[in-house]
Amino acid sequence: MPARSMLLAGIEEHDLATVEGYRAVGGYEALPKARAMAPDDLIAELQASNLRGRGGAGFPMGRKASLIDRKSGRPTYLVVNGDESEPGAFKDREVMAKAPQRLIEGCLISAHAIESTHVFIYIRGEYLTEYEILQAAVDEARAAGLFDPVEITVHRGAGAYICGEETALLDSLEGRRGQPRPRPPFPPVQGLYGAPTQINNVCTIASVPEIIAMGAAEWAKIGAESSPGTAIFSISGNIVKPGNYELELGTPMRELIYDWAGGIPDGRALKGVIPGGSSVPILTPDEIDVPLDYDSIGALGSFFGSASLIVVDDRCCMVQLALRAAKFYMHESCGKCTPCREGTRWQVQLLEKIEAGDATLADLDLLESVGSRILGKSLCALGDFAVYPVQSYMRKYPDEFRAHVDRGGCPFGGQSSIEGIVAPSDQHTHSPVAEVPA
Amino acid sequence: MRDFAAQVQDIAAQYPDSRSAVLPALRLAQARHDGWLPPEAFVEVAEALELTPAYCQAVASFYDMYHLAPTGKHFIEVCTNLSCALARAQDVVDAFESELGVTVGETTEDGEITFRAVECLNACGYAPVVAIDHRYRLHTSPEDVAAIVEELRAGS
Amino acid sequence: MTDVAIELVTLTIDDVEVSVPKGTGLVEAAAIAGIEIPVFCYEPRLGPPVGACRMCLCEVAPGPPKPQAACTLTVAEGMVVKTAHTSEMAAESQNATLEFILVNHPLDCPVCDKGGECPLQDLTFRYGPGSTRMTFSKRTYDKPIPISPTIALDRERCILCYRCTRFSESVSEDGQLVARNRGAQSQIATFEDRPYKAPFSGNVIELCPVGALTSTQYRFEGRPWEIQSVPTVCGLCPVGCNVAATTREGKVKRILSRNHPEVDEGWICDKGRFGYPALRAADRVTLPLRRTGGRRFEEVSWDDALDEVERLARAAGGTTVLALSGTETVELAYALSRFVREGLGAHTVVLPEQASPALAGYRQPLSALRDSDAIVVVGDDPVVERAPVVDLWIRAARRHGAKVVTVGPAGRVQTKPRAYTGVEKKIADELGDARRVALVWSGPGGQGGAEPAALARALGERVHAVYDLPSAPNARAVADAWEVAGEGESKPERIGLLIVSGDEIGRESRLRELASRADAVVAIGMFAEELRPLADVVLPATSYLERDGTMVNLEGRVQRLRRAVMPPCPDELAWTAKLAERFGVQLDREARGVFAELSPKLYAGVPATEVGERGVLGPEGEAPEPGKKKAEAKTKVAGGGPLRLTSYRALFSGPLVERVPELRFQRPEHVVELAAADASVRGIENGDVVRVSSNGTSVDLRARVNRRLVTGVVRAAAEHVQGLEAGVEVTKL
Repeated sequence: MPARSMLLAGIEEHDLATVEGYRAVGGYEALPKARAMAPDDLIAELQASNLRGRGGAGFPMGRKASLIDRKSGRPTYLVVNGDESEPGAFKDREVMAKAPQRLIEGCLISAHAIESTHVFIYIRGEYLTEYEILQAAVDEARAAGLFDPVEITVHRGAGAYICGEETALLDSLEGRRGQPRPRPPFPPVQGLYGAPTQINNVCTIASVPEIIAMGAAEWAKIGAESSPGTAIFSISGNIVKPGNYELELGTPMRELIYDWAGGIPDGRALKGVIPGGSSVPILTPDEIDVPLDYDSIGALGSFFGSASLIVVDDRCCMVQLALRAAKFYMHESCGKCTPCREGTRWQVQLLEKIEAGDATLADLDLLESVGSRILGKSLCALGDFAVYPVQSYMRKYPDEFRAHVDRGGCPFGGQSSIEGIVAPSDQHTHSPVAEVPA
Repeated sequence: MRDFAAQVQDIAAQYPDSRSAVLPALRLAQARHDGWLPPEAFVEVAEALELTPAYCQAVASFYDMYHLAPTGKHFIEVCTNLSCALARAQDVVDAFESELGVTVGETTEDGEITFRAVECLNACGYAPVVAIDHRYRLHTSPEDVAAIVEELRAGS
Repeated sequence: MTDVAIELVTLTIDDVEVSVPKGTGLVEAAAIAGIEIPVFCYEPRLGPPVGACRMCLCEVAPGPPKPQAACTLTVAEGMVVKTAHTSEMAAESQNATLEFILVNHPLDCPVCDKGGECPLQDLTFRYGPGSTRMTFSKRTYDKPIPISPTIALDRERCILCYRCTRFSESVSEDGQLVARNRGAQSQIATFEDRPYKAPFSGNVIELCPVGALTSTQYRFEGRPWEIQSVPTVCGLCPVGCNVAATTREGKVKRILSRNHPEVDEGWICDKGRFGYPALRAADRVTLPLRRTGGRRFEEVSWDDALDEVERLARAAGGTTVLALSGTETVELAYALSRFVREGLGAHTVVLPEQASPALAGYRQPLSALRDSDAIVVVGDDPVVERAPVVDLWIRAARRHGAKVVTVGPAGRVQTKPRAYTGVEKKIADELGDARRVALVWSGPGGQGGAEPAALARALGERVHAVYDLPSAPNARAVADAWEVAGEGESKPERIGLLIVSGDEIGRESRLRELASRADAVVAIGMFAEELRPLADVVLPATSYLERDGTMVNLEGRVQRLRRAVMPPCPDELAWTAKLAERFGVQLDREARGVFAELSPKLYAGVPATEVGERGVLGPEGEAPEPGKKKAEAKTKVAGGGPLRLTSYRALFSGPLVERVPELRFQRPEHVVELAAADASVRGIENGDVVRVSSNGTSVDLRARVNRRLVTGVVRAAAEHVQGLEAGVEVTKL
């Protein structure tokens, strides 16, 4: 399939950080069209597009907007989730840095749909350069008189993966520790500051201007029937041409890996593909003949997620990979709920034992059990995400895990491609200048 | 101090609830205290926003980008998550350890550079990714390390 | 009260059909059906459920195919809930939660105070694993850490249910106890490990479901099977929180809340919780004392003591003055009053408050504060110093959306001290269109309720409740008891005998002045050091934990005290009856009997059996005619000095608190509050040491600028500014 540029359309030819550059590619023509529509009609149009959330859950954006309580007497808010922290994903970064005006137009249109006058863009703290570009773009668009009556506030995060979870993001935006909230109540009813709130990923919102410009019916013809439109696929890992590729949904995964991204380097063999960011179950080489859409990948027992493919070749020890992933989730666990807080650490302890060659087969069973006892029981999806990599690697590469037990050590003998990788949770911060608090 | 409080008020005015200004206020306070947040910083932020120092410290301690102990003037952060690990980020880590003379997670003796491994910086397609004072340096190889450190030290 | 038809919702829990009011939470609904859903973090008094601990996971249909946290759900018609009792998914999930909690929980049970009354132990037995699969080292912390002299924190035991931090943030709103760090490194802490210093800190001990937050006073004092629990009422302030005294071997070992939903909602202040060790103070009076000369006293037998008192009383006759502190039970106040009025023909009394029926018609339980649209708080004294739990109710109301209008020297509507005439218009402006208004009077000058009642009438019919906070726990009932104990008024030229009841009185300048004028003084109290300077005879008193009887709280609720431990001296009613008999006055020696006598006079004949465990919200009388207002006593600003000094009795002050070493850190700071303008004109900054002086007396305190304080007024805790006049100078040192 050919590439289809919609989210990133025009970034080569013009500077889409500026209003003028964006207008040159047809930008800000959809906005007045949307504003001329009644909010109900605009929501209907978004529903007709069947645009599914690009943050990972794939929930239909228009349906989310229709659930916003616009009669509550409280203000409504639009919150854009730019806290991109899912390992493997770097698509929102590109949109915010290369096409911020498109994102801004999407914000203004979506705000109109839910009758909101205040939009918050939460951008992860580490994206400093991207923040500066985005803030400048917002300021310029405001000065150009495009906002009225809406305000857009760009809010920087401060380093916590969990703040990408929508209710944790709300808590962080409210000035708290970013911990998720129980649902119900759901954000469309009770969200930011307790008011009805729509939360959507950067790419979801950035898809909106084109939907309005083309018309939802036309837009829905692009891509796959249950997953229309384009997505920016981030592909990385053991791959010849890592990077972002904007493709129609439904593009075959094999095509992305081998045709667009050049396949596996150094003549190595493909070992596995994590299709949606580190948090989803891995697919083995015999599973990559699947269209890149929500339902098809879901049917394989994994998730479309953030459309971020991590490609792993045969040089990598899967136990080490599981351990590295487990350390990530342990580090990022917010600590609010029992299973995730205690279970993510226990997983790391067990995997370290397995990698060190000190484990028994019973430990493998225990690891499986610990994962199952977290799955579905935590307050938010991070608990599940911590389990998917570990359980899927164990289930799909069982011989490798057993070999660690049988041999009393890693069968790669120190030659794994990620040998010795140090995680943040392994280090202690030392300062020669002062004592470190416990 | 009045200056700080006034700056925080300006930030708080952008939000329907002034508590939302805590994160930006902490960032501002950190910049004013040589890159970390001593106890006084929490008192300042608390006073500016009518919160308690305990609350402000609790919030700061949750996030990776706030430092509750003194740090170096500069930060070198190497991503060691999945994709960067697969791209041999560990070699980059080893090279920095050697060049800087510290173990990952430590600050150099002269207090200039804090070197640490971090979780995914989300520029995975351009691995290995290193953030130098929070600016991404893409496709970093072990061979680039000496020049990076020299440039950073010279620029100080 | 309007009649509202309650809508019922029917659902099925563990195959049991149950109908409950709409809006009921699932945990409560299950309880109504007789089914337990185990919880840790769920506590409705702390705010909306957080769903953190995952203990209450159940199978709920309709819903996602995974277990749901029952505490976060409300009932829905046709809902089908399966708890651990009937669902393998729920049982497995709850078992998992307990396994995860126990993975890093230390095996401290043998040395942990919570053992035997520990929800974690109990739920593990009922829903948890029987053995551990954890073979790695558990995470450890230094322990225990005293986060205050009264509370010990053991971070290893903490299960991070966040009840304590939610209390600190959302109930007492002191914001001092917080959770810091993230994930498995999360821990409970205070700012820079400074002590948790707040009037309600001790409640976290009861909230904590494990032995992470424990009382230092109760450490290793007893196991649950070795103790008794006596339901009674706290006698230290006019709220009258319902408490349970834990006793062992005849000693009070701790005070817990007994949760009266209308009075205290399960909270008590640290003074009521931690003050009981004063019962065993070194200078506790156990035998009568008689002054032999100068500063010397001798212990005498009861017969000798009563003989001496009789002698003094006969000599003084009608020139006797009775001074009641308001800490007495109604029965004791009544008995003493009858003795003095009937037996001695003396009708002069010093009371902490006047008696006034003015508040009839405005009586409401304290919980009605939370249902108000607006609360007007009028007075010189901060509510938290006078009746602490009322402060919590006001905060709860504000969180529910009520507007709180403070009127006073540091109020939203600023007034000078004791100057509340003419504020109705300003208050009405602040109230806007609030329809259900409550009024709280916190300070002197209430005239027994007449002043707040008058203000309430001026504000109109929307005032549905008035709470006058008296200066002593049983002040108004004591005044009422005097009223009904006899008739007549006397104004003797001299004071032949002053009978003083209560230790606090040793600190009051008015009483000291009377004592110096009196020919003789008989003091009834607990602490020798307080009473010896004043008295010729000291008779030992019992504390509220050592007596039966009733007290009437600020709501007008009659509540029953139960003797938790035997006092080290006879009950006052016993010897008062003996003494009175010598003067021909017949009194019952037991509280029960005295209550029977005074109930028809004071309580509209309510029988003792009806007072019960929840008290009786006092019978409503007719609202009296708005009578002539007593002319407000104009306090002359004597002694020169352009600043007006107002002071309040701090909560953590007084003879009892001073005798509890663990409470010393809560004592009021040596601080004087100034308005911003007054401070700047004198070149005073926050933290400067200043001299507060009037007419030759002075005291040095640290200045604290209070931006809300009205100019021209300075405020301090009364114990720091004793001897100073109302007009003072404040100069920077």
